[in-house]
Amino acid sequence: MLYHIFKNGWEDKAYIDARVFGLDKVKAEVMTWTPERVQDVTGIPEAEVLRIAEMLAKNKPSTVVWCMGQTQHTVGNANVRAMCILQLVLGNVGVSGGGTNIFRGHDNVQGATDVGPNPDSLPAYYGLAAGSWKHWCKVWGVDYEWVKSQFASQAMMEKSGITVSRWIDGVLEKNEAIDQDSNLRAVVYWGMAPNSQTRGLEMVEAMKKLDLLVVIDPYPSATAAMAAMMRKDGVYLLPACTQFETSGSRTASNRSIQWGEKVIEPLFESKPDHTLMYAFAKKFGFEKELCKNIKVNKDKQGWDEPEIEDILREINRGAWTIGYTGQSPERLKLHMKNMHTFDVKTLRANGGPCDGDYFGLPWPCYGTPELKHPGTPNLYDTSKHVMDGGGNFRANFGVERDGVSLLAADGSASKGAALQMGYPEFDHVLLKKLGWWDDLTEDEKKAAEGKNWKTDLSGGIQRVVLKVYGCHPFGNARARALVWNFPDPVPLHREPMYSPRPDLVDKYPQPDDKKVFWRLPTLYKSLQTKVRDISKEYPLIMTSGRLVEYEGGGDETRSNPWLAELQQEMFCEVNPRDANNAGFRNNDFMWVETPTKGRMKVRAQVTERVAPGTVFLPFHFAGWWQGKDMLEYYPEGAAPIVRGESVNQGTTYGYDSVTMMQETKTTLCRVTKA
Amino acid sequence: MARMKFLCDTERCIECNGCVTACKNENETPWGVNRRRVVTVNDGVPGERSVSVACMHCSDAPCMAVCPTDCFYKTEEGVVLHNKDACIGCGYCFFACPFGAPQFPNGPAAFGARGKMDKCTFCAGGPEENGSKAEFEKYGRNRLAEGKLPLCAEMCSTKALLAGDAPVISDIYRERVMRRGKAGEAWGWNTAYGKPEQAAPAAKEAAK
Ligand code: SF4
Ligand code: SF4
Repeated sequence: MLYHIFKNGWEDKAYIDARVFGLDKVKAEVMTWTPERVQDVTGIPEAEVLRIAEMLAKNKPSTVVWCMGQTQHTVGNANVRAMCILQLVLGNVGVSGGGTNIFRGHDNVQGATDVGPNPDSLPAYYGLAAGSWKHWCKVWGVDYEWVKSQFASQAMMEKSGITVSRWIDGVLEKNEAIDQDSNLRAVVYWGMAPNSQTRGLEMVEAMKKLDLLVVIDPYPSATAAMAAMMRKDGVYLLPACTQFETSGSRTASNRSIQWGEKVIEPLFESKPDHTLMYAFAKKFGFEKELCKNIKVNKDKQGWDEPEIEDILREINRGAWTIGYTGQSPERLKLHMKNMHTFDVKTLRANGGPCDGDYFGLPWPCYGTPELKHPGTPNLYDTSKHVMDGGGNFRANFGVERDGVSLLAADGSASKGAALQMGYPEFDHVLLKKLGWWDDLTEDEKKAAEGKNWKTDLSGGIQRVVLKVYGCHPFGNARARALVWNFPDPVPLHREPMYSPRPDLVDKYPQPDDKKVFWRLPTLYKSLQTKVRDISKEYPLIMTSGRLVEYEGGGDETRSNPWLAELQQEMFCEVNPRDANNAGFRNNDFMWVETPTKGRMKVRAQVTERVAPGTVFLPFHFAGWWQGKDMLEYYPEGAAPIVRGESVNQGTTYGYDSVTMMQETKTTLCRVTKA
Repeated sequence: MARMKFLCDTERCIECNGCVTACKNENETPWGVNRRRVVTVNDGVPGERSVSVACMHCSDAPCMAVCPTDCFYKTEEGVVLHNKDACIGCGYCFFACPFGAPQFPNGPAAFGARGKMDKCTFCAGGPEENGSKAEFEKYGRNRLAEGKLPLCAEMCSTKALLAGDAPVISDIYRERVMRRGKAGEAWGWNTAYGKPEQAAPAAKEAAK
């Protein structure tokens, strides 16, 4: 699409000149992708690509929506950057109705990500450097040295961990090959579905080898059944309650936050996550440190329950980077009570007690709650004042690269900013240089000395920069089309690990294997070369994804009779041509076999939804294993109503070269009549 | 008095089955009894369309005409209800209905053994006292008596499915058609509402 946009001069030149870095290198690569070459690799004819490119170029603004279809590939990082570049080239970023919208799979995934489950960062994307730890220790009110003493070494404390996609290798990999002392010996599955992860056949081997497996979930889940198939002891089930049985804030994909009230008391013996966390901390002897700033109450059964509002207040006190600071529980609750005062198009309150706020105070909602920042409905929008939810691109990578400025061009700052030019991020030095230091109060000065906009706990730096001077605390820079610190600075096509086209593997190979990547050796080229011709045995492309009736691993939703009735069996979508060639009909049982030696017995759904040569399987099913019902492995009365083969028994090895995201969206298989 | 109707906008329905789930949840109908269903045509090829179908509460309802025990009655708001106590499970209404609305808990068993017919009540219950336990157990929730509209339409995320007073929902639909600049007749309306309204709708009391 970019090829046609550049060729026809449809790009937004003024926008690119003022706000984008490194596009020339991207353009050079793009222009080598002639329509013939595109059709050869993707199968999509020129007319179709041109039609969509023209539609986007001539109907602005427009937004691009994706979910996991872009990300769960070895080249996921390149795919998503390509989408962002497309939107930058069209000038569609930072405008109402534009942008890229990456939909989250369920309630509060965005919120979970923001508070730091990723193994390379503390909450709010602060990273793991010593300075980041010191910042959070101050927020938590605990001694940095004490926290450090909890780790084997400072090196371990600051080293990115193993990602969830690879935990099985943390168990199974040879000890000398991994970048930590011990292999993984204990695993806690906390609201996570094993059947949403690839390489299921190896996963049960890893489960067998563990010393300890803990499952914390509203349902025993496929984890428990898979483990029970492999072992008789060392697996513990802890009942967690659902979001309806507790209260708290939830963040949606658009970064807006809603306060949820408890609908019913927790059922049976279940407890909310924070109660379970506190109970663990108490057993391990650090519950005081865990809840230094958080009130602890007794629940109805006498368990200690940390106060949810205080937890959010602690996040508010520390998460300056993303502006998760202004959304106090009081402000969020006020929004929920006054929903009717918000305009459904602008999302802005028009009068009433929340006047001027955007619904749910989408982050960044900078400064302290008292600053009354209204939240940011669209990121990077220069047409608005920063105190009206405006913004610009972040200066996160210095001010210059290879002699070219990384800062935005003159005249391209947010509306009303005192600095109408590109500028770096703010710290105490810059504030003093600009003569803005004396706008801080005496107390703020004390807190801000030696700090920057994301470590000043008083919020003074943010207040002065935003409110007094209308500037953005994180600076005003260009969006990077060229990401020099990634393995492919310009997004490149690379054939999937398991490709149906050996000729394309030769032309677009994976990079070399990595010896240490998120603590693990990771295969790329060596594996791809080894399986170069495997499509002779497994000729069909196999992809996987979601259904509307089920959610995630599906244990909860497949246990709900109203949903279960709508999708009663695991199935595989096959084009009529492939079904006829394999000799089965619609609704027959069929086998799907993949290079992992995974064998899945599923219903054939013969349909034009998929093109010849491709099959699709949903990933929400579990409870069958290689053709056999696993009913006996669920605790009595706890098996989901609908059980079926999980597609991820059959998905293959392959990980994104930056994020270590698993490759679920493309592998190979063969199909036969069962 | 309002005249209640359903309207499903096939340009908007995304086959999410939210309406079906809402119906099952609100009325607690058993597995296998589906008062509402989503039907998709041209699945997977250009021109694919989905429509959410339940009892349309016809103007001149064929089910009423064929029922040998006269168990159907019509409320003042045009909702077609029936009396399960009088139903003998013969299945005539199922054959007469142009929308496949009547459901039988025991499936296509023989005469009588099919069990009492069950269908969409427009969330308006049955002959028993409004909001009573007996009414709920036989017919599901009586939302209309509480001043609420059917839950399926209330929950529809795209507002493809509309339920309510005929002039109100046809106005919404007309406005959409105008904006789209594409004429289209509301799905099933001719069949359901093309004939003159049955004379003198019997009040709930009269059916007892
Ligand atoms: S849709 Fe069927 S069941 Fe409903 S009123 Fe019409 S004929 Fe009777
Ligand atoms: S809820 Fe609405 S969009 Fe979804 S299937 Fe029903 S009518 Fe269609």
